[in-house]
Amino acid sequence: MTNRSVDLIGADDAQASSAPAVEFREITKHFGAVTACEEVNMTLWRGQIHGVLGENGAGKSTLMKILIGLVMPDRGKILVHGEEQQISDPLDAAALGIGMVHQHFSLIDALTVWENVTLGDSGSLNPEAIRNRIGDIGDQYGLVIDPYALVGELTAGLRQRVEIIKCLRRDPQILIFDEPTAVLTPEESEQLFNSLRNVVTSERRAVALVSHKLDEMLSAADEISIMRQGRIVDHCLASETDAPTLARGIVGREVLLRSEQAALGVARTEQRSLGRDDRRSASALTETSVLRIERAVVRSPDGFRLLDELDLEVKPGEIVGVAGVEGNGQRPLGDLLSSLLALESGRVEVDGKTISSGRPGAMAVAGVGVIPEDRHDSGVVLDMTVAENLILTNPDRFAKRSVIDLKMVGAFAQQMIEEFDIQCDGPFAPMWSLSGGNQQRVVLARELAQKPKVLVAAQPTRGLDVAAIEYMSSRLRLAAEENVAILLISSELEEILDLSDRIVVLQKGQVAGEIARGEADLEHLGLLLGGSAL
Amino acid sequence: MTGDNTAVLGIEDPPVVTIRTRGRIRSSEWFALYTVSIAGALFLAGLLVEATGGEWRPVLWAMLDGSVRRPGRWGETLGTAGPVLLVALGAVVSGKAGLVNIGQEGQLLFGAAVATYFGFLIGGPGPLNVFLILVFGALGGAAWAGIAAGLRYWRGVPEVLSTLLLATVSSQVVAYGMRWEWLLLAPQSSRGNRNQVSSQLAKNNRLPRPEIFGNEFPITVHLSILLAIALAFVLGRTVWGLRLCTLGNNQRVAKRSGVSEKTYGAGALMISGAFAGLAGGAMFAGGGFSFGNYQFMTGFSDNIGWTGLLVALVARERALLAIPVALVFASLRTGSSFVGSTGVEGRITDVIQGLLVLALLIPPAVMYLRDLRRARAAATARV
Amino acid sequence: MNSFLEATYEILSSSSTYMNAALFAGLLAFAATGEWVAERAGTLNISVEAMLLTGAFTSAVGFHLTDSVVVALFAGAIGGVLVASVQAEMSHRLAADQFVVGLTLNILAFGLTGFLDREIDPTTKLARRWNIPVLNEIPLVGKALFNQPWPFYILYALIPLSWWLVYRTRWGLELRAAGENPQSADVSGIDVNKRRRQTVYYAGFTSGLGGTFLVFVQVGRFDDAIAGGRGFIAIAAVIFGGWTLRGTILGCVVFAAALSSRLSIQGLGYEVNSELLQALPYIVTIAGMAIFAHRVRAPAALARPFVRGLK
Repeated sequence: MTNRSVDLIGADDAQASSAPAVEFREITKHFGAVTACEEVNMTLWRGQIHGVLGENGAGKSTLMKILIGLVMPDRGKILVHGEEQQISDPLDAAALGIGMVHQHFSLIDALTVWENVTLGDSGSLNPEAIRNRIGDIGDQYGLVIDPYALVGELTAGLRQRVEIIKCLRRDPQILIFDEPTAVLTPEESEQLFNSLRNVVTSERRAVALVSHKLDEMLSAADEISIMRQGRIVDHCLASETDAPTLARGIVGREVLLRSEQAALGVARTEQRSLGRDDRRSASALTETSVLRIERAVVRSPDGFRLLDELDLEVKPGEIVGVAGVEGNGQRPLGDLLSSLLALESGRVEVDGKTISSGRPGAMAVAGVGVIPEDRHDSGVVLDMTVAENLILTNPDRFAKRSVIDLKMVGAFAQQMIEEFDIQCDGPFAPMWSLSGGNQQRVVLARELAQKPKVLVAAQPTRGLDVAAIEYMSSRLRLAAEENVAILLISSELEEILDLSDRIVVLQKGQVAGEIARGEADLEHLGLLLGGSAL
Repeated sequence: MTGDNTAVLGIEDPPVVTIRTRGRIRSSEWFALYTVSIAGALFLAGLLVEATGGEWRPVLWAMLDGSVRRPGRWGETLGTAGPVLLVALGAVVSGKAGLVNIGQEGQLLFGAAVATYFGFLIGGPGPLNVFLILVFGALGGAAWAGIAAGLRYWRGVPEVLSTLLLATVSSQVVAYGMRWEWLLLAPQSSRGNRNQVSSQLAKNNRLPRPEIFGNEFPITVHLSILLAIALAFVLGRTVWGLRLCTLGNNQRVAKRSGVSEKTYGAGALMISGAFAGLAGGAMFAGGGFSFGNYQFMTGFSDNIGWTGLLVALVARERALLAIPVALVFASLRTGSSFVGSTGVEGRITDVIQGLLVLALLIPPAVMYLRDLRRARAAATARV
Repeated sequence: MNSFLEATYEILSSSSTYMNAALFAGLLAFAATGEWVAERAGTLNISVEAMLLTGAFTSAVGFHLTDSVVVALFAGAIGGVLVASVQAEMSHRLAADQFVVGLTLNILAFGLTGFLDREIDPTTKLARRWNIPVLNEIPLVGKALFNQPWPFYILYALIPLSWWLVYRTRWGLELRAAGENPQSADVSGIDVNKRRRQTVYYAGFTSGLGGTFLVFVQVGRFDDAIAGGRGFIAIAAVIFGGWTLRGTILGCVVFAAALSSRLSIQGLGYEVNSELLQALPYIVTIAGMAIFAHRVRAPAALARPFVRGLK
């Protein structure tokens, strides 16, 4: 691993004109025994986009939170425009001209655009001035938006636009973008980076771009710092590096496993063709579908069509990837198959039988297992024990005359804990004492133990580290080999390309296109996601 | 915005996970916190007595006299604790399902009214009739809570409000019933010049009141303790209990696992009402000086419903813990009747009750916040 | 049937009907306006009953000591705010369950005011009536709205003020944000629990005034049954009104009509079952909620505690 000197980077006109916009000097932050940041040195220059790359838990978000005043460092200094500053809350940061566009939107659906934009300001409320400011920013950066629109009715792309305007309204000289493209189409991402480039070059602002996506970094950033376990492990110019090098930096070793590569976005088409052998897909074709969704229509309470005549089939042993920009029906599809939503029309068939949608537990009884998108929302009960969580969906199996046999439950839970390598204080440890990855394993264990015919995996690797992603992927492959029909709903294209036999693209609650694995590549899929015809 | 502000979590890796610390909370800390809180509440109450010209010491002795020391008083206290505990058990059931039923006072009153009506209507052989009085009490309470359940699950009316408003309606409905001899009112001959009372329950139709060491109390006490144990078992060890708790903790997980919010939720609300109604029936058939002496009348519920609810809240929805708490609250109640003799207004015990409940809310809240602060630090560490 | 219509006509054309209704509506409006603000920020504040009762008692004591209704008004507001301080600090600082705290406060307020009432036994009277010329000559409702004891007129300022606060000030924007999406509001730099505490204090303030109204405009003396569940009806009015101020006030008027019907009907010498009349406001309230509760959208985070990091 080459460690270039920081001082050489960005030594062009930016440095010549003034001091760096931000300089982190030996920033260290420990949380108890855990090191979040260790002696981090980093420099943000005006007129440059600085990429901060690393996997979940590498410390990049903590570093940014230190800059925005949400976390106080244990040691080290922050210099803003050459002067040492104490940033103890977001208001301090704002006063120094530091603004952040948050990873998950900080917007409020029930309020209008202008109300959202001014949220968090101080002083008396002057709607006229705010709306004018929104118009000005829109003209200046090409971020046009109707200030009176209700935020809840905007698309993901427009919502992010509001978020950016909200940040730009204070005219910050230093901008932080935290995973800005998670909910955008490739096209919208490109637009975002164009306006970002505009902000940076024409107005000489400094931008920190936090991301875990390699290609995004390579195309958008000027220089890149890679963080691992709280340290900066590499630092380079975007123009002088490539994806495999960056991937090595993130993980700290050669990246060999396919799913790791997928998770990091280094997998290329030729590697992908080494995937699951085609014999399986061929044999799958001969069987009839175990899950069949026909012309499914689901409406939200306010009448909006969440699923709009959706057709979908999955055969035993087949992994069907559902790609699409978030908010196009993925969540309702998962909820429909979890019995959480009822159909307005259409039907869902499992193994040839029509399942009554929305009836509590009907899908589970019919053999549909679900790894939900948000495990806290519909996966686990935090206030119950691990064992209880493992038997939730089918407690009768462990009961005699409806009295639960604790011995049996304990033995089962112990078996699951061993088989799925769940780290916990035994079967009767409370669920909340487990880490996120281990909670996800509990969900996986429970759903697979039911011997499902269909397994719905919604964003199964979100928020997990590389090793956990690899585990999850291999488990899904294993399940497919055991002839489970798998519906993989994911917003990570690489994950979908890595695992799926067949890929469908969701758009506005419909299947907008379908591609066999052989034909799939990122560009093709990207176009589909953006709404281009096949 | 200071040190509290360690992290705006929910930005990366939802930290809900670590809402509590792994570390066990030391029981000495709990003990200290509770001692301080309770002492604070009692101190405030004492201060109040002193400030209004009374003396706290005689008040305290009067309360002890009234609740345990005088002959026959602890039997009275136990007799009061029985129905209070029954109501509390009901509140535990609805609480476990994540519902806020606060209309026990009305459910108890209505249940008692129904029990009274059928008690006189059927008039079968003694033991059977006593049994039926209890059953109809429970059914009446369940029916009254059932209205709130219907409104909640079919019309979206928050049960907090409907149960509460129905409690008021219940007393009017019962008052209406008290106007007619064919409903609840006793015949002119047996009520004399008293209005608004029912006939007195015949001797062979009453719950047995065994006497121990000169104290007597109805077997409601035994019944309620048995039910507390049974409920603890049902909630902790049966499929139904597991599912109910799932519903109370996470509705979406519950629905996915086949727990119907409507049937389990409405069921829990009605069972909760049934316990309150059972308490009403038992008060009617169990007698006791403070419960109308086997006669039903307006105002029969006499705040037993509210007290029971408070007991459940203080016991933090644990059926077995409700037993001692019910005893404490019953003692406050029986003790209050002796306070008047000290020249201090007897309602001081209501104040003590309220202050105690508030005080008992503080330690868990403080602990929770402290855990949260630690958990937040731990969660931030992973980001 | 004819006589029923005649009776209805007589009741509806009697200005005393409107007088009675206005008094109840006024009381409900004091409590409901503050409750509305608190609910918009996310607190389903059931201690509004305790705030009314305590406000009524402290105002009575205030008058007892100084013989001044103005002082009584301040004392009433302070009483309401005292209750609010317990509710606010316990549920939005210590994160105790807001229903449990509210319920306990209701019981505590009942015991405490009852106890102190017998110890102190404050003497009170009705406030002076102010007659607004011209306006009070409006047929039917003129007297009801413009010939009332003077504390009644505070409403004419309080209601628009509350509207303005919630919809036209930064504070209002922030409290609405706190009631809709506390997580996002928090990320935007708003102290969610502080806003929520402030709105509970505001509810305490208006309900305390409501308690004063109860003693000095409506009843004339204090007793511990004076609130009699009106606070809960005020909460129902907010739900009935779909969490808009206009709807809330409309709800107050509808429920007030039911509450006052007993006085109006019996005052004109008609015989109607008194239990029915007493239960009527509650039945109307429940029916009103049954019809409207599922048609309206509550603040998304209503009755959900906010603890940073907890969804």
